[in-house]
Amino acid sequence: MNFRNTWRACSSLFRIRMAEGLQYRVSAISGTMVGVFWALIECVLFTVFYTYSENGSWNNNGLSLPQAISYVWLAQGLFVLQSMNIDSEIMSKINNGDVGIELCRPMNLYTHWFVKSSAGKLGTSWIRGLATVLAGLLMPAGYALGGPASLPALFYFLLSAVMAFVLCSAFAMLVTAIRLNITWGDGPTYMLLLLSGILSGTYLPLRLWPDFMQTFLYLQPFGGFADIPLQLYIGSVAPAAALPGIGLQLLWSLIFIAAGRMIMKRRLHSIIVQGG
Amino acid sequence: MLAEGKIYCKYLRMHLLSGMEYKGWWLMLIQVLTVVISDPIATVLLFSRFGNIGEWTVAHIILVYSLAVASFGLAESVCRGFDYFPWHLLRSGDFDRLLLRPRSLFVQVAASRFHLHRLVRPFTGICAAGWALGQLGVPLTPGRLGILAMALAGGCLMYCGVFVLTSGLAFFTIKGLDWIFLLTNASYQITRCPEPYLPRMLKSVFSFVLPMLFISFYPAATVCGWGYPRWLGFLSLPSGAAFLGVSLLVWRIGVRHYKSTGS
Repeated sequence: MNFRNTWRACSSLFRIRMAEGLQYRVSAISGTMVGVFWALIECVLFTVFYTYSENGSWNNNGLSLPQAISYVWLAQGLFVLQSMNIDSEIMSKINNGDVGIELCRPMNLYTHWFVKSSAGKLGTSWIRGLATVLAGLLMPAGYALGGPASLPALFYFLLSAVMAFVLCSAFAMLVTAIRLNITWGDGPTYMLLLLSGILSGTYLPLRLWPDFMQTFLYLQPFGGFADIPLQLYIGSVAPAAALPGIGLQLLWSLIFIAAGRMIMKRRLHSIIVQGG
Repeated sequence: MLAEGKIYCKYLRMHLLSGMEYKGWWLMLIQVLTVVISDPIATVLLFSRFGNIGEWTVAHIILVYSLAVASFGLAESVCRGFDYFPWHLLRSGDFDRLLLRPRSLFVQVAASRFHLHRLVRPFTGICAAGWALGQLGVPLTPGRLGILAMALAGGCLMYCGVFVLTSGLAFFTIKGLDWIFLLTNASYQITRCPEPYLPRMLKSVFSFVLPMLFISFYPAATVCGWGYPRWLGFLSLPSGAAFLGVSLLVWRIGVRHYKSTGS
């Protein structure tokens, strides 16, 4: 099995899943509505806290209100990259025993599923993400998504967002590899995904977390899902500090991919195919 | 009516027993507990960084929030079937079988699912409300307990109404109902913001379209005496019932419109 064949198989898998995802346009509209509503509530909440609370005007750790609002909108846009659960097609394959068929293909299972799940995510979600961001740009002044801090900031944001996509996919595959052990049920993987969501900054910008946690929050892997690209965009992290951040994303992606491959390899040695 | 109630209880018992057959059923309890606890983290962290908003402390917000969450959880527990209806009963065509049985459709659909772990949410919510009342120094008199119980009952009716409304609309759209998330999990997020600071539009939507504030904020205000008219706190039950009534109407029209789907 040479590299070129793998590449061709991957790109066609990617295209198939993208086209499949694009079929569900109505669900993209629904998703956008939810995202916009969510972002609006967050905007209201931040406005209230920044304007009326006791320490709002000074104790914000260098994140101003317009920055926080831009952060909220872009976080809703990038949120689509994170998976709330394991790719449903792969999940059903694990549950009904089609894993056996997948193993017969002359292709590494990890690579195959990686491409499939990442394409599945991208297919439905990029419209939703873009639409949410667009809605953010069109909001009335107080609640609108602002422009990037500078031109380099925009460039690094885009670069970092691409990295975030790789990182999210790698993490989703790690979770899938763990889930291959069917007897555990959904509990552990679900909690892992929830934890990653909370620590990614989509719930609350990581800068607004307690001060003593900041170093930990910077180094932990899930900040790369959303927080690093977003901070680059709004300028609370200077473009000069962009490369270390993106390097961190890259490092964690590599770690997740290596761990995922290893766990999957070990699982496949002793896999019990369920169903029939 | 009594017979229907009996059937409902039998259904629930059946689901409960079948759920217990899975060895890891208690894992789900922990899972839901994690979700419920992690949900208000953002609010608590915001308060810890920014301090109080005027006289609004974290206990005020938790009280209102937990009332909303607990009533959502209650509705989820007793009306779980409607929550699943568009996805599992309607699209597969299994609904036809229910229509053939000479029993109340509402009871059959409502009791078509029951998960024990859904009770974690109301339980945690009620505990949190108790904690918040303790923090605020509000002693629990029978009168106050009555108002809170009415708020929970009204909220439960309202969220049951949301589920019934989704199911009713599902007859017309079959798919693409993700926006209903706005009325369920997203709706109680507005209770994280103190009511006086809410923009007027959000306030009217969540009092008159979905009576969210009537089942969470106003009862809390009446119980703690936050200077709102007292009678507002008693509107929880009627407003929840009214919402459920409208939803049932939509459901009725939907059932009449239904011409079987699936295979």
